[in-house]
Amino acid sequence: MEQPVTVAIIEDHPVVTEGVASWIRSDPGQRVRLVQTARDLTALGAVPRPPTDVVILDLELSGELVTTQIPDLVAAGYRVVAFSGHSDPAIVMETLDNGAHAYVSKDEGRDHLVEAVLAAAADRPYVTRSQARAMLADQRPARPALSEQERQALLLWFQGMSKASVGRRMSISENTVRQYISRARAKYAATGRTAPSKDALLARAIEDGVIKAGEIVPYESFAHAAADAETRAAADRPSLGAPGR
Amino acid sequence: MTAAAPTAVMSGRYQRAFTIAVLFLVAGWHLAGAGGQLLNNRPAYASFAFQGAMWLVMALAIAAGSVLVLRGSPGWLPAWTVAVIALAASTAAAAASPAGQMLAVNWSWGSAGWTGVLVLLRRRFTELASFLAAEALAILGVQVWDGLNRSDLAGFLAVLAWSTGAQIAVAAGVKALDAAAGQAAAAARSEDAARERAATAEIIRAARHARWLALQENAVPLVAELAAGMADPGDPRVRIRCAVQAARLRRLLAEGDEVLGSLVHELHASADVAERRGVAVEIETAGSLPQVPGPARRVITDAAIAILTAARSQARITLATVAAGIAVSFVADTGAVVGLPAAGEGVAIEQQQDGGILWAEARWNSR
Repeated sequence: MEQPVTVAIIEDHPVVTEGVASWIRSDPGQRVRLVQTARDLTALGAVPRPPTDVVILDLELSGELVTTQIPDLVAAGYRVVAFSGHSDPAIVMETLDNGAHAYVSKDEGRDHLVEAVLAAAADRPYVTRSQARAMLADQRPARPALSEQERQALLLWFQGMSKASVGRRMSISENTVRQYISRARAKYAATGRTAPSKDALLARAIEDGVIKAGEIVPYESFAHAAADAETRAAADRPSLGAPGR
Repeated sequence: MTAAAPTAVMSGRYQRAFTIAVLFLVAGWHLAGAGGQLLNNRPAYASFAFQGAMWLVMALAIAAGSVLVLRGSPGWLPAWTVAVIALAASTAAAAASPAGQMLAVNWSWGSAGWTGVLVLLRRRFTELASFLAAEALAILGVQVWDGLNRSDLAGFLAVLAWSTGAQIAVAAGVKALDAAAGQAAAAARSEDAARERAATAEIIRAARHARWLALQENAVPLVAELAAGMADPGDPRVRIRCAVQAARLRRLLAEGDEVLGSLVHELHASADVAERRGVAVEIETAGSLPQVPGPARRVITDAAIAILTAARSQARITLATVAAGIAVSFVADTGAVVGLPAAGEGVAIEQQQDGGILWAEARWNSR
């Protein structure tokens, strides 16, 4: 990437802001440039600044959850990466449904935050382990239908394996593992409330060949879910390694 | 009615049975006893129609009283209203009877007394006594008005003795039975509590015994070897055995609390020892987890202890709901392949080594 991605940090604890800034600085490729830090949302864009591609948003500002303000940020053209101490799957799901590109828990920050910001700037999916956990735990009737391989890749990734290890376990390439996980994320972008960020993510996924337009199913019916569970129970785990459809 | 304690329900049921018995007694008396006497002495009354009307008024008072006592204990106003109507009907019937023959043809004294017993039964005993005394005085008053002679007084006293005596005896008997029912219910309740305590004590005793047996198997020989100087604490293999036994002891303690999600709880207990060694352990769950039976939990926590003991600096344990059970996975920097305990109890264990990182998964299926 020629031009560095511009980023703002909205975080009420200066020490955390400082830590995030240091991760950005220590990126060997200097791919991200910090243009603004603020302690609340009102300060964002108050002063003219270089255009901001991505907002790193702490979900709890001064003791209040700000997940409901994500749609406004997204409508204003920002891409949002949530960075939060919360790891409750319900909060993760709500954040993604409101149009955030990615969810990075504070435990995952060092390894994933810069990469998640870069993926968001390019409208590409980025799935952290806490996001995988929320997708696995999702029992809402309107959840998207995930294939057996997508679910298995998400499970192994959540469990803590590297993507290369997941590939070995499933007898597929690391690239196919990424494909499965990204496709699961894209399916989520196709469900729930509409947001320009979700449309952009979906369009990019189709463009990249992660998902075909025909694979986007609005929601999973209960009958479908039951049949899926049956297949899952019958499937022999070592035979799951069939290459992607 | 509000929800009542079992004891109250039980003694309440007895009380209702006694009430119904008294109700049958009163109704039976008024229909057969008083009604029979009324018809039998029909020619003796100046106005049979008036006597019949009073009998009907009394019957209505008994019906109203029955409704009251079947709906619960009546308050003083409805109870005394019924009692006073009965008393008035009885006195009117007595006053309309021919002088000198009154007691011989009187049907109403007994009925009025029984009606009083019915509605005042569950009230203070003095209320019933006052009512019966008022009733007796009213009859005596009618007799005095008619011109009292010695044989009349003797007849009055005889009727008073058996009629009022019987009424007081029934009322006292029901009071005694009520008290006995309350005691029986209380006794049953304390017996239940005692049985429950005994069952709980037995469960606790069995759990303690199982833990003691588990300790006998491994921990006790190890402590004995250490004490005898046969095991050298400087030997890394001995240190690993100690770490494993310490983790098991913690798990045994954790197994005691039968809380929801106790598998997570036991895994936390198993992780505790590794954390004291400086291993960073994270435990995460995805989804609402099914309950795993005790023996299967033990297979899973045994695997956890083996892996955590071998972990060098970090370990991640996850629990996720899968098709018909639960997948518990471990990722740890063990450096080498770890010998895992045998699978079983419906738990399948798989592992994969990637460089220094071990991945293992224990999957329990309910089917």
